Amino acid sequence: MRRGSLIQLTAIALVAGAVCTAVALAVPWLPLDAGREAGRIHFVFWFTTAICIGVFSVVTAVLVYSVWKFRAGPDDDSDGPPVHGHTGIEIAWTAVPAVLVTAISIVSAIVLAENGDAGSNPLKIKVTAQQFAWSFTYPNGKTYGSLTLPTGRHTKLDISSNDVIHSFWVPQLSQKQDAVPGQHNSLVITPTRTGIFPVVCTELCGLGHALMRSHVEIMSPAGFAAWQKGSAAVAAGPPGLAAYQQNGCGGCHTLKAAGSAGKVGPDLDNLPAYATQAKRGPLAAFIKESIVNPGAYLQPGFPDAMPHIYASQIPSDKLAQLVQYLAGGGK
Amino acid sequence: MNEHSTEHENAHAPAGLGRLTAPGWLRVLWVTPLFFGLGLGLPVLIRWLAGWDPVWKGSVLVTVELVTTPFGFLAGIGGFDYWAHYASGRPTQVDDHSGHGARSWRDYFRINTDHKVIGVQYLVTTIIFFCIGGMLAMLFRAELAQPGDQYFNPQTFNVLISNHAALMIFLFVIPAFAGLGNYVIPLMIGAADMAFPRLNALSFWLLPIAGVMLIAGMVVPGGGPSAGWTCYAPLCSHQPLGQVFFNMGVQWAGASSIMTALNFLVTIITMRAPGMTFWRMPLLVWANFTTSMLVVIATPFIAGSQFFVMFDRVLHTNFFEQGGGGYVLGYQHIFWFYSHPAVYIMMLPGFGIISEVIAVMSRKPVFGYRLMALSLMAILVLGFSVWAHHMFVAGMAGWLRVPMMVTSMVIAVPTGIKIFSWLATMWEGRIRFSTPMLFALGFLSMFVIGGLSGIYLASVPIDIHASDTYFIVAHIHYVLFGGSVFTIFAGIYYWFPKMTGRMYDERLGKLHFWLTFIGFNLTFFPMHYIGLQGMPRRVADYATRFADINLFISIASFGLGASTLVFLYNMIRSWAHGPLAPGNPWRAMTLEWQVSSPPPVFNFDEIPQVVGGPYEYGVPGARHAILGAPAPVLEPAGAD
Repeated sequence: MRRGSLIQLTAIALVAGAVCTAVALAVPWLPLDAGREAGRIHFVFWFTTAICIGVFSVVTAVLVYSVWKFRAGPDDDSDGPPVHGHTGIEIAWTAVPAVLVTAISIVSAIVLAENGDAGSNPLKIKVTAQQFAWSFTYPNGKTYGSLTLPTGRHTKLDISSNDVIHSFWVPQLSQKQDAVPGQHNSLVITPTRTGIFPVVCTELCGLGHALMRSHVEIMSPAGFAAWQKGSAAVAAGPPGLAAYQQNGCGGCHTLKAAGSAGKVGPDLDNLPAYATQAKRGPLAAFIKESIVNPGAYLQPGFPDAMPHIYASQIPSDKLAQLVQYLAGGGK
Repeated sequence: MNEHSTEHENAHAPAGLGRLTAPGWLRVLWVTPLFFGLGLGLPVLIRWLAGWDPVWKGSVLVTVELVTTPFGFLAGIGGFDYWAHYASGRPTQVDDHSGHGARSWRDYFRINTDHKVIGVQYLVTTIIFFCIGGMLAMLFRAELAQPGDQYFNPQTFNVLISNHAALMIFLFVIPAFAGLGNYVIPLMIGAADMAFPRLNALSFWLLPIAGVMLIAGMVVPGGGPSAGWTCYAPLCSHQPLGQVFFNMGVQWAGASSIMTALNFLVTIITMRAPGMTFWRMPLLVWANFTTSMLVVIATPFIAGSQFFVMFDRVLHTNFFEQGGGGYVLGYQHIFWFYSHPAVYIMMLPGFGIISEVIAVMSRKPVFGYRLMALSLMAILVLGFSVWAHHMFVAGMAGWLRVPMMVTSMVIAVPTGIKIFSWLATMWEGRIRFSTPMLFALGFLSMFVIGGLSGIYLASVPIDIHASDTYFIVAHIHYVLFGGSVFTIFAGIYYWFPKMTGRMYDERLGKLHFWLTFIGFNLTFFPMHYIGLQGMPRRVADYATRFADINLFISIASFGLGASTLVFLYNMIRSWAHGPLAPGNPWRAMTLEWQVSSPPPVFNFDEIPQVVGGPYEYGVPGARHAILGAPAPVLEPAGAD
């Protein structure tokens, strides 16, 4: 290869590399990191990006240079030089990528090990997924529909599912773990930044998948301690509301009083009208039947999509509270 | 030869009632209902005799019908005639060529044993499914243009995304490569046809069955398959009835795939022309050889996974039902043990096409030919050891993560060798920027991006953040669209003159390339960003902060969809009215270009003698093969 072409190639590679670097830095590719694990994952991301920009720039340079310099004229019927290969070059482009991916693998393996380390005294929270809601049970036995965490402490989530596969993800915490029925998977997060961030289900889990959302509120350790003390008082409200939230009814149903706007199933603010239409006994009996045996009567225009798990999942006292709550229009 | 086979057909031409029993569409019209009746009657009879209630059970009948009715269709059109005659002791003629070749358009609509006809049948059929799959994508991109529910409820949306993927994978990319391979491989190795022409004909006719089944599943009462193309248990076992159409449709497509792969393997191993050693085979043949091994080994696993989830549903088994002692993640292990190698099934034949196109259009030998072939074999072997990188967040055995990460990373090495070798092939060449070459260059640049985003996903920590988000959607489209689909287009344009005997319109071809290339990047590149920022895949509704960028993606995707119209117009018009193509418009060395366009019914008038490598461009006096030399006499003189 002549020296002139080598200089031109290098120049194109540098320009391509500069453009890629500018794109990488100008666009906020990753969300804010709100946890120690997220920070490490972001490091692997940028480490890999640096290597990839290098590879991409070299490939682009050769491609652009070839398209520019080796274009055949319209009447040019000649062939190129009959080069069949070059052992040295072939060894080089086998070895160099091998070294690069080995480097990425080593960094990844180290970060993976660090991100799985929950320390000696993690806050242990049980996460239960079901169609289409999350519930979070704290060591004191209290269960909530959203997650509250302190900064600076390892949290170990014990993730499981009541029905199909779901997946727990907080983009700002980067960590993700599927919730699998019959399995307890663990996930470590160590929040570093206070704020409220979304909890997203990322595994297709049925009709309400897009609505299977909750949030995590990250507080200072002092704020978290105060929340734990005061949460019993705050969580007051009609007892049926707690059952409504814990069982994820709002993932599919609209109920103004509970602040839910799901559209997969019938609008629960219209229950009295539906009951009249259905002619299946008084309002309370109709509601109870619709929860424990959802296929028995289908409101026209809605699919037979409600899980048949609530008969066994909701204790009878909670069920009575929920029925009373719904029959009263959310009071 | 021609006259010979015409006589044959005349001798068999049925008349009167014979037309009802001769293989063909008339027989389809009465045999299919007959098998439909059998599929209906047998289960009902058995249930009635056993006293099971109810006697008519929809899910049972549908499952049985999805097996029997297609068999009725295949029996009617004549897919099994030869073997049925043989088994029943009726006279058969081994070298009966009455079903061979195409003399009118009607010959494309029957059982045809000519690999060239079958290749065209495959390609036209798969392009139809490509258009349908693309239209499904347009529909759900319309829904995704704004957050909230606009046009479709979640059930319909999930059906659209599931069938878009299923049609594109099982009825476009995989069989389109089978079609191109079918047309080109026997010609490239100097054979008269495939090793098993009747099996070849049958394997094509399984394909429309699979496609019709998947599409029919969308409109069955109760709702279509809506668990995604991955169809994870246990969600999939609790879906509406349409799911069974999906499970069974995949079986028919898979069976077609396996038969073709066996045929390719036997053809490539046993039917090479004299002198065509393995190290003289064109890289497309090498690519299909390795792909076929992947298909034969891996495809039974997806068949198993789909049968097992269907059994869980219909027979109440507990393969993946946690409540009954099943292993939920077992589904994913079995599914990905096929579906990761399937990624290479959808890519390696494309690698072969690109090697052909770049060597010919650059007028240079393929750089490092042997290493190119060996890296295909390396991908084949490594491809079976990476499946669990789809399951890094699934909750599988924790120790599996790092080994699967390392193998996934290592597979970048043989892939890199191929990319660098193509670049080196172009280096100092005399490059002609015809449409196939443009698609080859588009493939090179897009596949590099797809390959590099694959490195991100192979790294377990990054994958934990990015899996099941739009980053994955971006990655698979850079690999399967920027990769596979671009190579299919390159292949179709490259061999169009050979297949049709006419040239396509070069200006429209280039317009098609640029519209596709730009539309593709505008559609899929922004998906990397929204995925990393927090938008999960497979959602009809999303956070409002992603609204603007989704609107942009939707508009770009409509442009990408519209670019296909240019392709269709060019293909249809050029096939009918294009200028006649010479035998070798690209001045290529491989054997398919040494015969007329389109080739004679039995490909070569005399068996070619292969004397050198397939890409000896620029080597003075080099030849790949000698045609028209005195060949060994195989038929008694005067047979013609």
